[in-house]
Amino acid sequence: MIALYIVAGVAVFAAIRVIVERNTGRKLPYANVLNFAVAGTIVLLLNHPLALVAAAAYFVGSTLEANAVASTYAGGMKR
Amino acid sequence: MLGEILHILAAAIISWILFVTVDIFFRLPEAGGVSGASAIARDIEAGGGALAGGTMMGNIVCSPDASAGTLLAACGVYVAGIPGGLAAAALVFIGNRICHDPGYAGTTGAVLATFVVYASTLVGFSATDFIAGMVIAILTIQGLSHTHASRLLARLWRVRQ
Repeated sequence: MIALYIVAGVAVFAAIRVIVERNTGRKLPYANVLNFAVAGTIVLLLNHPLALVAAAAYFVGSTLEANAVASTYAGGMKR
Repeated sequence: MLGEILHILAAAIISWILFVTVDIFFRLPEAGGVSGASAIARDIEAGGGALAGGTMMGNIVCSPDASAGTLLAACGVYVAGIPGGLAAAALVFIGNRICHDPGYAGTTGAVLATFVVYASTLVGFSATDFIAGMVIAILTIQGLSHTHASRLLARLWRVRQ
């Protein structure tokens, strides 16, 4: 139970830092912490094998989004 | 209650050492896997951090690395024991390919973490300690001070070289 509170607390902390940080490049690592915490929360709330699939799907999806945002921020694909 | 908190802190230290070692072994601080990782590294360097550490942090953001592998392996062991951890490793492998990451840091980290977490459950830890521990470990790298974290990672990277 304490684990869940810690993970949820970290999620809230990371969310606040994402909002406060102005620079996009430095915002994304905070969003990464948020993604870790949310993926952990999913499994801690639902102890079921499908929760692992849900957490992995959420985590990979959000990492791909961060990857896309960062690469667009870097200037996108050079043609 | 105090015992559980101490277990979580110990799990955080074990996870931290595990994922930083695997990431540095797989040369994550060397170069950005995608252009976005390099952009994050430049912004962290502009904020007073070190470029090599920033590159590793950018790579962690842009693709599931050993830290993500450790988290998902701990989740897998929690829901289904060793088979769950290995299933998590397979999911991390798929995630790496989706995120255009040519490396194997995430998959290796997940497989190693599966056995570390399972062995720890035999000596009194629970897998939930490692889920919370890994979240604390990633918080120390990505969520507290990018300047200090990137300098520390750059120092460890110099040792590796």
